[in-house]
Amino acid sequence: MALLPWKRAAEIGGPQTATFEDLALPLLPSLYNVAMWLARNSADAEDLVQETFLKALRGFSGFEPGTNFKAWIFRILRNTYLTSRSGLAAMRTVALEEELEEHAVPESAIERQTPELNLMRLSDKASLEAAMEKLSAPLLEVILLCDVEEMKYREIASVLDVPLGTVMSRIARGRAALRGMLAANAPGEREARS
Amino acid sequence: MSEHLGATMLNALADGELSAEELARVNEHLAACPQCTTSALEASLLKGATARAGQRYAPPADLRERMVRRMAQEAAIAQSWSRQNGAAQEEPENAAAQVEPRRWGFGSWGLAAAALLLVYASIFLLPHRGGRDLVAAADYSALVTEVSDQHIAMLAANAPPEVISTDRHTVKPWFQGRIPFSFNLPQNLPEDTTLDGANLTYLRNQPTAQLLYSIGKHRVSVFVREQAAGTADDAMSPADYQGFHVMGFRAGGLEAVAVSDVEEARLADLVARIKTAQAK
Repeated sequence: MALLPWKRAAEIGGPQTATFEDLALPLLPSLYNVAMWLARNSADAEDLVQETFLKALRGFSGFEPGTNFKAWIFRILRNTYLTSRSGLAAMRTVALEEELEEHAVPESAIERQTPELNLMRLSDKASLEAAMEKLSAPLLEVILLCDVEEMKYREIASVLDVPLGTVMSRIARGRAALRGMLAANAPGEREARS
Repeated sequence: MSEHLGATMLNALADGELSAEELARVNEHLAACPQCTTSALEASLLKGATARAGQRYAPPADLRERMVRRMAQEAAIAQSWSRQNGAAQEEPENAAAQVEPRRWGFGSWGLAAAALLLVYASIFLLPHRGGRDLVAAADYSALVTEVSDQHIAMLAANAPPEVISTDRHTVKPWFQGRIPFSFNLPQNLPEDTTLDGANLTYLRNQPTAQLLYSIGKHRVSVFVREQAAGTADDAMSPADYQGFHVMGFRAGGLEAVAVSDVEEARLADLVARIKTAQAK
């Protein structure tokens, strides 16, 4: 009996015969985590992950063996998210952000705006989670891919289909935004404002 | 390096993205600059804290199992498809790969689940006539999803059609050499209905004409492609998908499927006129 396409070896002739399942299932927790951050509710996140798996499975014959499967499937996840109802709004945000980035925000605005964070603030996980929730999707996804998924800049550029410089710029802006929000929520700042 | 490190450099340092040469220069600067050393430490701490905070959601315990089951079902669809269509037919997963990425429908799972149940049943029933009907039903469900997705993607893209014309004598000839079949466009359209233009697209890996109409302010896509061999001439039963009405017909070697959020009767009127035009 012929192997079903999705059972076909990913690396033909290679020593390892990785199937789609072998490659994709270990990434399920990571994909779900990112999907939850983007979709913000479990039902949509599950749908997003399932749709991603099915699209990846159907397109697996087009996946080039030996290339980066993780970047490939995250790209499908992101494209799937972007073409969803909620993702369409995010896509418009991406365009807007890029425009602002290129024309309105001077480079100095993201350089060294550091109010130096202390260890106490960084150890406040709840504050950091709250700050991440407030990040716009284009900045959040790049932070997640970089810090949580530990992807290299060039991998992130491939997932997002943007130039390397845009990845670096979004990382800088994302972290600057997090710092700003953490500083604003710091106890000293809150007391000073009240 | 005497100037202080910029945000991009500090991030690249924390992310391990510096080349050996850059790293040497940065280290040299850090050795002499407490301010940048503090910033570098803070950048590294922020990255670590974000990594921990970002790892926030664990998938439900049964998600993995459901995914494995779902993939097996997908394989069953592929298998039943190839049984139905024989070696001459393209494998459906290749066709699906070509249309990726399409829009993602949150509400498509109910429909997909129903289709899968039908396909599952069909595997055991083949090659009986009833089995073939079930496969056809599942295939139709998939078609409804695909045409709706394409229509929604067209609305979302908000791009002008590849051929912009209200003149059927412009739109029809545009397809010459682009699709391996010909079709007629109706001369008289229902009231308040206009032809906006057309796109060349693909359904199930087959070249397809996407005719774009407006009925009032409602946009309509009519997908016209060659009728698959072995399918009978008939009207396709109307279906609803995420608020869109889907209906069509197979006749005279053509298969047409219309999608719109306009009221069903008005869409049916347009579809009927397109069908009538084919008989001329």
